Amino acid sequence: MALQPSRWQWHKFKDMFHYYIMVGLIPVSAIIFYTNVFIGPAQLEPIPEGYIPKHWEYHRHPITRFIARYIHTNPQQEYEKFMHFLDEEHQKMKLRALEKEILKKMAERQDYQAYYYRPMVNKYLRINKKVGDELYNRVGDDYEE
Amino acid sequence: MVQGDQPPQDDNLFRAFAHALYTTVDAPVTWFREKVVEPNQKKYPWYHRQYRRVPTIDQCYSDDPVCDFEANTQFKRDRAVDSEILSILRMRYEDCMMYESPDHLTICKPFWEKYKDAEEAWFIKYGDLGAYADARKAFMKQKHRMVWEKHTLIYELELQQEIKDHRDMKT
Repeated sequence: MALQPSRWQWHKFKDMFHYYIMVGLIPVSAIIFYTNVFIGPAQLEPIPEGYIPKHWEYHRHPITRFIARYIHTNPQQEYEKFMHFLDEEHQKMKLRALEKEILKKMAERQDYQAYYYRPMVNKYLRINKKVGDELYNRVGDDYEE
Repeated sequence: MVQGDQPPQDDNLFRAFAHALYTTVDAPVTWFREKVVEPNQKKYPWYHRQYRRVPTIDQCYSDDPVCDFEANTQFKRDRAVDSEILSILRMRYEDCMMYESPDHLTICKPFWEKYKDAEEAWFIKYGDLGAYADARKAFMKQKHRMVWEKHTLIYELELQQEIKDHRDMKT
């Protein structure tokens, strides 16, 4: 073998060129050719009486229709879901505002204690007490004043 | 000219040459479309979305976010439609101007008048609202405009009354 400069970049270029054409350009252009020639775009028509079109029937090109049908979600569904979310958050906002108002009035008038009852769990208090007793039994009360 | 005859033959050599050049590219493409593409295409419909009218912002309660959201989307749709209408009127005037230039100032006047009226109406409703335009902001703009109109009218009426009184006093 003669001593030559590297032809690595050229080989890599051919490799990538063939890769992108075989896996990218040829299948994609075959799909596009098939959809445009054998299926074709739709014709615009008025909506028939009493018929509710599906959400993909509002698009013209067959590939757009395919994407709208199998990949995207129904825009009307998303709209209504968002409105439900807004309503739920609004109800939570109203509840929290009401609670805040009640607490404010209770603090202002100081006439109710029932709302302030905080239920306690004394489990950790008992554990700490037991640890303290055990320490006292071991060490005693011998400490510097 | 004889009535009912064919239209006069076009024997302009340059036009024929230009047409021949165009045809060398156009004829195969047209043949392919008419013989191969169109017979194989399927016929099926697509529709335009029909949106129902929902209550506008002036019919909503002030603390109702759902009604507010729907009124807002309706406002944005209406603004898009009105912008397109304005664009079509502008294109009509521009086409007329391109065709009739340099007489466009007189011949295209009706298109210009219609476009200017539409533009004024669009600006009254949607103009100067900023980037975060809202249905509520447009409603407030209308309210401010009505208040301003009322004040201006009252002021002008009072001014005219003063002028009349002044004149009556003089005589």
